[in-house]
Amino acid sequence: MNPLILTIILMTVFLGTMIVMASSHWLMIWIGFEMNLLAIIPILMKKYNPRAMEASTKYFLTQATASMLLMMAIIINLMHSGQWTITKVFNPTASIIMTLALAMKLGLTPFHFWVPEVTQGISLTSGLILLTWQKLAPMSILYQISPSINLNILLTMAVLSILVGGWGGLNQTQLRKIMAYSSIAHMGWMAAILVYNPTLTMLNMLIYIMMTLTMFMLFIHSSSTTTLSLSHTWNKAPLITTLILITLLSMGGLPPLSGFMPKWMIIQELTKNSSIILPTLMAIMALLNLYFYMRLTYSTSLTMFPSTNNMKMKWQFETKQITLLPPLIIASSLLLPLTPMLSILD
Amino acid sequence: MLKIIIPTIMLMPLTWLSKKNMIWINTTTYSLLISLISLSLLNQPNNNSLNFSLMFFSDPLSAPLLVLTTWLLPLMLMASQHHLSKEPLIRKKLYITMLAMLQTFLIMTFTATELISFYILFEATLVPTLIIITRWGKQTERLNAGLYFLFYTLVGSLPLLVALISIQNLTGSLNFLLIQYWNQALPDSWSNIFLWLACMMAFMVKMPLYGLHLWLPKAHVEAPIAGSMVLAAILLKLGGYGMLRITMMLNPQTNFMAYPFLMLSLWGMIMTSSICLRQTDLKSLIAYSSVSHMALVIVAVLIQTPWSYMGATALMIAHGLTSSMLFCLANSNYERTHSRTMILARGLQTLLPLMAAWWLLASLTNLALPPSINLIGELFVVMSSFSWSNITIILMGANITITALYSLYMLITTQRGKYTHHINSIKPSFTRENALMALHMTPLLLLSLNPKIILGFTY
Repeated sequence: MNPLILTIILMTVFLGTMIVMASSHWLMIWIGFEMNLLAIIPILMKKYNPRAMEASTKYFLTQATASMLLMMAIIINLMHSGQWTITKVFNPTASIIMTLALAMKLGLTPFHFWVPEVTQGISLTSGLILLTWQKLAPMSILYQISPSINLNILLTMAVLSILVGGWGGLNQTQLRKIMAYSSIAHMGWMAAILVYNPTLTMLNMLIYIMMTLTMFMLFIHSSSTTTLSLSHTWNKAPLITTLILITLLSMGGLPPLSGFMPKWMIIQELTKNSSIILPTLMAIMALLNLYFYMRLTYSTSLTMFPSTNNMKMKWQFETKQITLLPPLIIASSLLLPLTPMLSILD
Repeated sequence: MLKIIIPTIMLMPLTWLSKKNMIWINTTTYSLLISLISLSLLNQPNNNSLNFSLMFFSDPLSAPLLVLTTWLLPLMLMASQHHLSKEPLIRKKLYITMLAMLQTFLIMTFTATELISFYILFEATLVPTLIIITRWGKQTERLNAGLYFLFYTLVGSLPLLVALISIQNLTGSLNFLLIQYWNQALPDSWSNIFLWLACMMAFMVKMPLYGLHLWLPKAHVEAPIAGSMVLAAILLKLGGYGMLRITMMLNPQTNFMAYPFLMLSLWGMIMTSSICLRQTDLKSLIAYSSVSHMALVIVAVLIQTPWSYMGATALMIAHGLTSSMLFCLANSNYERTHSRTMILARGLQTLLPLMAAWWLLASLTNLALPPSINLIGELFVVMSSFSWSNITIILMGANITITALYSLYMLITTQRGKYTHHINSIKPSFTRENALMALHMTPLLLLSLNPKIILGFTY
């Protein structure tokens, strides 16, 4: 794509999210969402093939529906409160509709069906933007309306998301679908703690973004989109296999890596609010996620996966430059001892 | 405690910066030095614990386990030299780094005061062990073994995390030093029963309890020698150590909650000992024997009498040294014949007489011959379980008999009789192997002269 056009489009995406996060008027927020949606469609369609077109169409339809639901909730809120400022949404109907709309934007169950298919149809870089940047805007709105969200709906969606994210990823070999299901599960964790302590939602989002960024960068470096092609990295760049191992274990939430920090904090907050069965259930279901991450590490770094001899001699183009990989690796694996610093997030 | 932890962490840069012909020498020497430092912890002057800081402490229970851990690292390094000799340099360094990382986490686990810190490090020991088992094991079954190991332990320990946090909410602090003084009886309710279960299941899986022991034979058999040694000697004892610490907070539910686990352990020790008599795989036999010995420790911990705690602690240390030595002996067989089948390498006394002496000593300590500390541990456990209920003497007696049976079966099959003709060209024992066995046996024999240092905090 022409670099100038690419810059303009990326700036629009960026600006859309910024407008959502910085506004205090509900209409501006809706405008921000729409700007974001329209600008990201060309990014999703960077590779012009029918698969990408189908993925972009699905994305557009679901997000547009969600925006319309959001608009309806805004109008109901306007009718009942008479003002357009963002505060907690007092009317229960408006609050429920808004929660559902934002869940649709995030990809929480039962609105998760678009995530794997859209992520699969687009290129790795677009998938990266989709799974990290696009989650910021809806999450910021959820953060702002968090005192008024109906707990039953949100917790149901959260638990179901963790279940679906775990079970759905079990049968996948395509890396983008695995990342999509991992995103669904992580969104579930974030939604679960939203009502009790929204700061932890933001912490989880931060750590999740760093880990997902790292994973996608590693995939882009080896240009691999399936488990099979990832399993050839031991031959090309053995260090990448170690980094994949560490990051995947961190995503699975194993101590002492930093992926454990949000899970631990979330379990702590939930337990402090006297729900014991829920965090136990969530923690056990996160183990399903760990299973398919482990399977990925088995084929990539812990074994020399069987491959034919000519796969070892694939053309080596010039090494891709991965921006910011070392700090990302450190951030996604070694931040656990910094947990007491969480007090700065208040 | 930093005087032990920081040198152990620095073992990692030491391996990466050493020259090719110095890696084993450097790491073995420095880890031996670290274990010398840790010996000073065995001097526990009074009934209280030695507090080094708010975060680290050592008391008569954790000090022997700590010394065992630091003693075992040089032994693991010595044992791994042969099977890693053909690997490229970077992979050797990675292996030693994994061992050093595991060692750091283990040391911090045994000396942690805060129970959540104990939990995080307990889980952290899983990652290097998993990498050692799956990356350096030899058969395809190691993948399954790693998964079983990881998931059994994680499913058991995630409820422990929730339970620890809810205890922290109730009592305000999980610092072990405080809990000893603040301890109150848990009120009787259904949720406290689940709390008891949540706290104990993690350690039951780790010990392992008889019904949850499925990961252990797989993991022990498929792991390379250092992995088997550390698994058998230390990681199982993490479960025992955790149980000993956490049962302090769980009264009075333990009085009735312990019954199912006591029954499972008493029955399980007989069952696993009996299975040992029918094993063909040498490492599998030693693994099942570990389950059987640990079942005794579970019985001792759940009975909660002073003598049983003494027996549990002594048995843990003794079993650590014995089991690790048996794995080293099995590995010396494996390195020569590349097979773990017992009957394929018979009559070794004729070919390797000095190794046969080590086999004899190891088997004798395994069947708890007096005056070894294995006997002291088992005897205390038998006596305290007899005082708990007279009938258990039947099961305990049967277990001691069957333990003797399979230990002698293992000894006689591998050492006595006519040697198989295909092994008459094996290499003689290396000095390294003899030194390894001597370093295992010497502490074991010396401790029988002064067992009070391993008898734990109820002595």
